[in-house]
Amino acid sequence: MTPFRAMRRGYEARFEPVERVVLARVARDVAEMLRDEAGLDLFPDGGELGFSTHPAPGKGQAWANGLLAPDELTDADLARLTGVTGVGRVPTDPAARRLLPDASKDDAEVADEFRRLTQNDVASAKVDRLEAFAALLDLPTGEDAPSPLGRHGAPPPVRVPREDAEQFAGALTDVRLVIAERLGLKSDDQVMQLTDEIMWDRQAGREIPVATDGRAARRFWSGVFVAAGYAQETLMDVMLGELRGRRPPDAAAASE
Amino acid sequence: MGSAGTAVEEDTEVDIASGVADPWVTIVWNDPVNLMSYLSYVFESYFGYPRAKAEQLMTQVHKNGRAVVSTGGRERMEVDVQAMHGFGLWATLQESGARGAA
Repeated sequence: MTPFRAMRRGYEARFEPVERVVLARVARDVAEMLRDEAGLDLFPDGGELGFSTHPAPGKGQAWANGLLAPDELTDADLARLTGVTGVGRVPTDPAARRLLPDASKDDAEVADEFRRLTQNDVASAKVDRLEAFAALLDLPTGEDAPSPLGRHGAPPPVRVPREDAEQFAGALTDVRLVIAERLGLKSDDQVMQLTDEIMWDRQAGREIPVATDGRAARRFWSGVFVAAGYAQETLMDVMLGELRGRRPPDAAAASE
Repeated sequence: MGSAGTAVEEDTEVDIASGVADPWVTIVWNDPVNLMSYLSYVFESYFGYPRAKAEQLMTQVHKNGRAVVSTGGRERMEVDVQAMHGFGLWATLQESGARGAA
């Protein structure tokens, strides 16, 4: 993987094919986990209410009584009008809870209401951008597709259009948060140490092992975590540079 | 409000200046995953804070474990917290006058 660079048509980096495949795969896994955990299957795309396999006790009773909404109302509109979305249930997976955290540490009423009003929207937006992220990373396939190796034998760059860059960075964040949760990374020191180990292995030319046992799986996911962090760090460098470039110089220079 | 404490002290100056206390605050908490540059980006792009303020807040989150990133009415803070969760930051809201804000 090379660092992201600001180009005319967007931000570009070269990813190894395996990096593209793995990051796309994990993004889709995170999207699916989030959809399940947040109960988004209550609101399938067609606008009709689907049969819920996860009724939210109490909160979902308006739906259970057959109270249907006009098609033009969004879930967020309904939430505002009724205070009920039916999907305010608290995710049980710790990784999903990190992506959809409590909005209050010590006031359950505040946290519950916030979850009821916003969870569906926040989770849906995350699912959408994770899927867009995966689609952007997908290698071209099919008969018409150009060779994945490109014209000169190098893989085509990952090109993130500027208008999609914030969503791309957000999806990278969600992917990294979920992997960190799965790896049990709880402190800044743990993350730094893991990053050092992976970078050291990489410099020493050690290959990422195929995940055949627990230790190899951990090493594999650590490598994915570090690669996603590298992509995000270098993307942030160029995005921040351009964001600050549009600012008055005094504001941009004030801290230096 | 067991953990209210010190996080709200930053806002007293604003309150005095405007003469109206902002009743709620949005707090962003540290986590080991989010990059410092990403925090700066969010604070600059979403809140429109100048670089110096964004970096000060980012440092506060990183060193102190949390920072008050915005103040206002409860509904406004709910919008901000929702946006922070969208960015993948861990944010909460609470009443600013709970303790230690005088």
